[in-house]
Amino acid sequence: MIACTEFIPAYSELFKFLHATGGKEAVVRFWESLSDAFLGNLRDLAAQKGLAGCYEYWSHSLTEEAADFRMVLDEEQGVFTIEMRRCPSMGRLLEDADLEPYPDYCEHCDVLYRRVLEPLGFEYHIDLSEACQKARCSITIRKKVQ
Amino acid sequence: MDAAEQVPQGGGESLMTDPDSKLKILDCQASDHEYLHKDFHGALCYSIYYLDQKLGPQATRDYLVEVGRKNYKELVRRLRAEGLPALERHWQEVFTREGGKFRMEYEGQTLVLTVEECPAIAHLKKTGQLFTTRYCETTVVVNETICAEAGYSASCQYEPGEGRCVQKFWKETESK
Repeated sequence: MIACTEFIPAYSELFKFLHATGGKEAVVRFWESLSDAFLGNLRDLAAQKGLAGCYEYWSHSLTEEAADFRMVLDEEQGVFTIEMRRCPSMGRLLEDADLEPYPDYCEHCDVLYRRVLEPLGFEYHIDLSEACQKARCSITIRKKVQ
Repeated sequence: MDAAEQVPQGGGESLMTDPDSKLKILDCQASDHEYLHKDFHGALCYSIYYLDQKLGPQATRDYLVEVGRKNYKELVRRLRAEGLPALERHWQEVFTREGGKFRMEYEGQTLVLTVEECPAIAHLKKTGQLFTTRYCETTVVVNETICAEAGYSASCQYEPGEGRCVQKFWKETESK
């Protein structure tokens, strides 16, 4: 069994494997497929509860992943933000000298979540400018103005 | 933020709520929680399913060989240096952390790991996530690869989907 604590390096390796077989397009196609098949819980929560559903989803997953983060849900302003001070996934890949992360590893968080949230009427923005070097990023999700 | 109420959570995290503005803030440090996100088993299982469907079983095997070669270098080093007790410790830690039902024993020079309830498959079934009977090939191929890198051999007998298996590990010069 690959332990769930060993998944992230296997995930990164999968991106590298897919890239080697079909280029970046093959990696993005996988992310899209995974988003459709695997993120039903986020889709349901966001559809039923709006930004509060996003808060519920990420408060569960990020605590289980032992992330270092601050998330703010502002219902009045219609905005939910995550400031990821230390991403547990990229952090793990950077810490282990034996591992060589997939160069575009952090982009999966853009493709997977955007694909769920935009069709539900949210704006999704992720700042990955420091992601791959420092395991830091920020996410802002807003209700789209009609 | 003056009206915000700070509610201590488990560990050092804090949850702040402001009933007037409906502001909710959750602030956590890495040390506040144990790293154990079992839904990752679902993502891996889906990955196996996807590779099988898109590229075929040989590609899935090739991918898992890469995982075994590249992601377990420290375990391979320990296995080479210390022998089977290194693997024994590894499995003890993994299955204990994930709440698996298992036992380990030696049959001569062979380490036998009997998994009575695989925590990964138990989680997939409990949460209703996609399950492919090919999922256990992760164990078969990754174990074989780790052992081969260190001069050992491995076998894994399983009934697909049952969440039970018998894994054996031995030095290549010895018979199973």
